[in-house]
Amino acid sequence: MSGSALHIRGLRKAFPKVVAVAGVDLDVARGEVFGLLGPNGAGKTTTLEIIEGLTEADTGEIEILGLTWAEQGQEIRARIGVQLQSTSLFNKITPREALDLYGSYYPKRRGTDDLLDLVQLQEKADAYHITLSGGQQQRLALALALVNDPELVFLDEPTTGLDPQARRSLWDVVRRMKAEGRTVMLTTHYMDEAEALCDRLAIMDHGQVIATGTPTSLIADLAIPSVVELTFEGAAPEPAAFAARLDQTVERRADLWEIPTPDPKALLPRLLEAAEAAAVPFQQVHIRRATLEDVFLHRTGRSLRE
Amino acid sequence: MMMLWRQFAMEWRLYRRDRVAMFWTFAFPVVLLLGFGLIFRDGGGPKLSVVRVQAPAPGPQDTALDQALADVQLKVQALPKAEAEARWARGETAAQVESDGAGYRLRLNSYLMAQAGATAGLVNQAWLMAQARLNGAPEPGRIPISVESPGHKHSANYASFLLPGLLGLNLVSMGLFSVGMVNVSYREKGKFRRLAVTPLPKWLFLLGQVLHRLTVTVIQAAILLLVGRLVFGIQNQGSFLDLFLIMTLGTGCFMAFGFALSGFADTSEGYAALSNLVFFPLMMLSGVYFTLDSAPAWLQHTVAVMPLAPFLRALRAVFNDGGSLAGHEVGLAIVAAWGLAAFALAVRRFRWA
Repeated sequence: MSGSALHIRGLRKAFPKVVAVAGVDLDVARGEVFGLLGPNGAGKTTTLEIIEGLTEADTGEIEILGLTWAEQGQEIRARIGVQLQSTSLFNKITPREALDLYGSYYPKRRGTDDLLDLVQLQEKADAYHITLSGGQQQRLALALALVNDPELVFLDEPTTGLDPQARRSLWDVVRRMKAEGRTVMLTTHYMDEAEALCDRLAIMDHGQVIATGTPTSLIADLAIPSVVELTFEGAAPEPAAFAARLDQTVERRADLWEIPTPDPKALLPRLLEAAEAAAVPFQQVHIRRATLEDVFLHRTGRSLRE
Repeated sequence: MMMLWRQFAMEWRLYRRDRVAMFWTFAFPVVLLLGFGLIFRDGGGPKLSVVRVQAPAPGPQDTALDQALADVQLKVQALPKAEAEARWARGETAAQVESDGAGYRLRLNSYLMAQAGATAGLVNQAWLMAQARLNGAPEPGRIPISVESPGHKHSANYASFLLPGLLGLNLVSMGLFSVGMVNVSYREKGKFRRLAVTPLPKWLFLLGQVLHRLTVTVIQAAILLLVGRLVFGIQNQGSFLDLFLIMTLGTGCFMAFGFALSGFADTSEGYAALSNLVFFPLMMLSGVYFTLDSAPAWLQHTVAVMPLAPFLRALRAVFNDGGSLAGHEVGLAIVAAWGLAAFALAVRRFRWA
């Protein structure tokens, strides 16, 4: 088990109305959890679908586990596991039947009971798919992606639309995949998910990779490791005058001001003094460390959720 | 082989769980057969009828006409003027005879010209007979009529005419509506995409589906034949092998139509519109409901190469008339050609996503 799991150069895909992927280079090492982070429409899903062989790229090179689609398509399919953004199954198939059926398509397969245990679906093993909750359906989709004991697993927005508890339980499954030595590539637009799960990640925007690295290094590179927040009751007032008085950037969000700073300890006394003097009606002060959200904001000028 | 069997078995297992859909797939043709078969139990189709407005004081001329109308086997409904007019206004009357001065007047419903036209001929014949009888002249001779199928069999039973039509209709709707719609909805909902990332060969998946549909059609046909036999005493006059061959050819042809069409629609709604767009001309121009003798020549040439008519002709020839496939080579070749063309188109247009 050596070499890279994924090697991509100059990937490009244009649809009639939009260039979805505009020259992407990626390298994913074996055994790592790699994340594609970006807002909706950044080109994450298209990139993933090209890698999975569902969409054909206009140009670019892809090597998956040292194989190429043109030469070894069937072997790639046999060795990768895929969870699509929405996995549509027959309404009246049970998890056990679905795992048996999809398992039968592969030369190498993992036991159905083993998989049901892994995703904690034993109790629902014989219930119709349509009766499962959203989280249970996602866990089944994860189990289906593991049915062939794959070396490389692709997960497209695995936790979108799930409640916090269901998200946590899905994260556990992903961590177990890593523990079993699999390479995982996932897309997400949740920065907390990317921070919690990924060894390395690429931030995508407008079809391009704008930054690559570990979550910590990406935040450290930001040179503004902390953010001081002043929260207000109701809408935050216009900060221009206060920013001038403080001689510091102040960004207004819905009900708070954000003041990025490399040194919160030095800023805080000055800040409180200025606020007192200007009679700023704030409610609370928070100091938090910068997140991937701030990295994205800093690089694109936009928020991830916009 | 094992994989094909698994795929086929799973299709069936999931199909059986959708009980409502399955019930109607099998029950609908039977309901149609029972319904129409029982309504038109005697004779070939609906009987011609005429409304006779009762004369206030019937004279010998009226009596003679009434007798003659009965003699030409029209179903006569004698009604008082007011009731007859009310019935006419409701649109239920195809033809109505009433006194008009010294003679009579025949009114035909422009919405029901097929029945009204035939009725008019019989009413006039009855009037010639009545006049001859009144004058003591020899009655005008009548050309004897016999009702026969193209294979010279007399089938008194409307259901026996209906049954092959239903068999054919099932195939068409299975292919055009079921198969195509299922394909489009699988693609729309991403079921195909999930399969496309597995090593399952595509042809194997499709073949499993085709075999499943084929067995559904065979069962459907068997149920229909059984009900036809038990309720109406209709028997297949030809060989079951020929019947099976024709049915298989038809199923293949119209399923290929469904597959081909599904390549042109992105959504289920789009497919519903598209399949109707193909289905109705196919039905209307197949010569099943009316002959197109008076249509323009170019249209007749078009109709001659449509697949539904030769298929139904061959089916009826075997089923009703006990004929063989000989003489239907050209027709069946047309069906096969359409099937192959549709299949080629289906392969070209087929998309997994």
